[in-house]
Amino acid sequence: MSTHEITTAVNGRSRSAQVQARTSLADLLRAEFGLTGTHVSCEQGHCGACTVLLDGLPVRSCLVLAVQVDGAEVETVENLPDGGLQAAMREEHGLQCGFCTPGLLMSLAHAEREQLPADEVLTEVLPAHLCRCTGYGGIRAAVERHWNGREQR
Amino acid sequence: MTGLIGSRVPRPQDHRLLRGRGRYVADVPAPGALHAAVVRSPVPHGRITGFDAADSGACALGPQEIAEHTRPLPTAWRLPGQQPDQVPLTAGTVRYTGQPIGLVVAAGRAEAEDAAEQVRLRIDRLPAVFDADAALAPGAPLLHPDNGTNRAGEAHFGDPRAEVEAAIADAAHVVERQLAVQRICPSPLETRGLLAEWDPAVERLTAHISTQSPHVVRQELAAALRLRIDQIRVVAPDVGGSFGSKVGLQAEEVLVCLAAVLLGRPVRWIEDRAEQLLAGYHGRGQRARARLALDADGRFRALHADIRSDLGAFAAQAGSGPAQVSGLTLEGPYRFERAGAVVTGVHTNTAPTAAYRGYGMQESSWIRERLIDEAARELGADPLQLRLRNLVDGPRHRTRTSLVLDGADHAGALRRAAELAGAHRAADEPGVRRGVGVTAASEVTAFAPSALLESFGIDWSGWEGATLRINPDGTVTAHSGVTSVGQGVETGLAQLVAEHLGVPMPWVSVQLGDTATTPHSDLTSQASRSLALAGTALARAADRMRERMRRLAARHLEAAPDAVVLDAEAGSYRAGTGEISWVEVARRGWKGWRRDSAEHVRLEEHVDFDPPAPTFACSAHAAAVAVDLATGQVRVEGYWAVHDSGRLVNPMLAEGQVVGGVAQGLGIALLEEVAYDPDSGRPRAATSPADYQLPTARDVPPVVVEHRCTPSEVIPGGYRGVGEGGILPPPATVAAAVAAAVPEIAAELTATPLTPMRIWAAWDAAQRR
Repeated sequence: MSTHEITTAVNGRSRSAQVQARTSLADLLRAEFGLTGTHVSCEQGHCGACTVLLDGLPVRSCLVLAVQVDGAEVETVENLPDGGLQAAMREEHGLQCGFCTPGLLMSLAHAEREQLPADEVLTEVLPAHLCRCTGYGGIRAAVERHWNGREQR
Repeated sequence: MTGLIGSRVPRPQDHRLLRGRGRYVADVPAPGALHAAVVRSPVPHGRITGFDAADSGACALGPQEIAEHTRPLPTAWRLPGQQPDQVPLTAGTVRYTGQPIGLVVAAGRAEAEDAAEQVRLRIDRLPAVFDADAALAPGAPLLHPDNGTNRAGEAHFGDPRAEVEAAIADAAHVVERQLAVQRICPSPLETRGLLAEWDPAVERLTAHISTQSPHVVRQELAAALRLRIDQIRVVAPDVGGSFGSKVGLQAEEVLVCLAAVLLGRPVRWIEDRAEQLLAGYHGRGQRARARLALDADGRFRALHADIRSDLGAFAAQAGSGPAQVSGLTLEGPYRFERAGAVVTGVHTNTAPTAAYRGYGMQESSWIRERLIDEAARELGADPLQLRLRNLVDGPRHRTRTSLVLDGADHAGALRRAAELAGAHRAADEPGVRRGVGVTAASEVTAFAPSALLESFGIDWSGWEGATLRINPDGTVTAHSGVTSVGQGVETGLAQLVAEHLGVPMPWVSVQLGDTATTPHSDLTSQASRSLALAGTALARAADRMRERMRRLAARHLEAAPDAVVLDAEAGSYRAGTGEISWVEVARRGWKGWRRDSAEHVRLEEHVDFDPPAPTFACSAHAAAVAVDLATGQVRVEGYWAVHDSGRLVNPMLAEGQVVGGVAQGLGIALLEEVAYDPDSGRPRAATSPADYQLPTARDVPPVVVEHRCTPSEVIPGGYRGVGEGGILPPPATVAAAVAAAVPEIAAELTATPLTPMRIWAAWDAAQRR
């Protein structure tokens, strides 16, 4: 198995590592950089739990190889400011076990930066993430609260 | 503090989980930890004649080492006469594809998986059987030849069979159906996993494990590894969902601990999704011949089901438990003159089935509610009126299986669900039919007392304990044997403690999941019981502690206890002009100063609560569906859930439990299935979550939840329970709505999931008739 030296900007900080060609970005972040906020669940790109931002775009980090992020910028849940989105998730019970939450937050953070309307977030972004606990009710309420600035459901 | 009980308090741990600071088992730091991969059977049935790990380049445990160092796992809930009555950790014979045979350990996870592939197995294949009915047919391959049959055992519930048969024979109308609930994969997003550390110097094992039941895991590990219980500490860190799938120990977890003991090194194993689908214990897998008998004016006379439960290759820890609960709860919230069930467990060459949220009660709801809707259709009756006519009412109702329903608002919930759905208006359009269904369910909650479990022959206790401590710095620590698996019970418990102690909630830390600190618990957060049982124990401990602290403050202030008032905002006790802080009373308390000589020193209270009986919650659900006749696709366009879970401590968390349960129930209704392919002997969906469809936000509409709050008679605070209620009605409710939309296929709606293929085939057949 060949190994490769890579350098990547993770959460604004330049980091280098020796990785095997087969190492995924998720494993790089978790095992090499100790960023365990990114969770690995299905490892096949379906569930979205491992979503991070690669050069500003959401990717399933289980489907990206570490060697592919050489020279790129990666942002993980640890770097998100604790702002209105998180407050809305807390207030609306948008998480239970919390395992899918970091990946979902990355997609929502991207949607917010892209100024996607709430409707599109609910119909296009949310269905790309599996949550087994909430039935999506609390997450929908959190998105609506945060996007629409609603005080109460 | 007052007013905490009943308020929508956000969860303290969310702050951490939302910043990526969860601590799941894969995140627990362990420098130098090795990684394990499981060697699994590639065939559904066969004799192992060789296990050669020489080429793997890794440290391996094979069948011989495992047999030498372990004993089988005990089971806790069996059918009468059930054989085998233990869970094998290794076997000369493998009985399902994916059954663990051995373990390899390497520096990293990828290396361990590479090594597992290099293990050379020799297995002499045996004929296999994957279907419970086929397994009982003459000449079927036998999984346990010593038994002479694949029938694992049988249990009877309710009235004597002859009496039920007489009532059925005597009735004006009988509806009979073969009704099935498919095998599913519970699918918590965090798979199973553990980190095992053996300290050879002191001979102690610490296991951080993603589990719902740390004390049971400890007991079972001790039995399997021949250790003393007090040599083992089990810690459940953050758990990424369980839904019943992490309640017992499974073979892989024992093998990882064994590897850690033998190597003297930390060993970690994280199950992957394909392993979870293939060989993690499944849920459900039940088939019933069921009959409902009615008299001429629609009064229920009798209900009976012959239930066949596919236990898989061997019965797991409580393998037949869900099917036994199906028999026990068949009647739900209705009155019958006679009712009964026979539950038969069957062995097949498939992964064992075990607990999954809803635990037999979803299956019994499916049987009962389907029969009721079919009876209404055949009699030309309004299904809502037929239900209301037969619903239990009054404060107490004893079922034919001797359960005592304690007065939840069945009729109010049913009427309200129908009313909510009745406001939904949607018309048919070309090729698309629409319909609404409404069903009712009742749920055993706060599963206890211990004596009841003993009478059922279940080798578990039903009580829950509490340890409440006021620390020398005035902070409050609460321990209980129940666990947090995402449902947020620690928040509800903290609300109860703060309210009963009279202090602000941030003073209270509820710490669960560690056998070193928590009271023993067998059933923990299973069976919708943690808030009602552990909450009551903690509330009582807090009541006692509140008085002890006040008496101590009174002695320091030289005042009468009745004259002492706690100002929780200021954090101090006052009596007249005298004042002493809560922290100072706690600090001096631990010194033993000025205590009543009859009182113990430590500012700790230990309370065990074993209620006189279980309590019951109830629900009524309504669904509005659209059925595309060209594709067979069913879309759920509206969903309403009315629950009576007694007094609610945190309505926000209760609603989260209901909606989450509904979503899982919709998965059973429409999407999820582990179906074995008889040619390969593997589940068809065993490789990828693309094949095993979990509900997404597109599949689950916004769910309207309402609660009626009739206090429980059994639980002092009036709490009932809410964890499982949401998953019970959706399959029957969706089927009722589909039947209302397409009555031509109503009689064929006998098995879930209601996939487009099933619906289309039924419609196509109806068109040809």
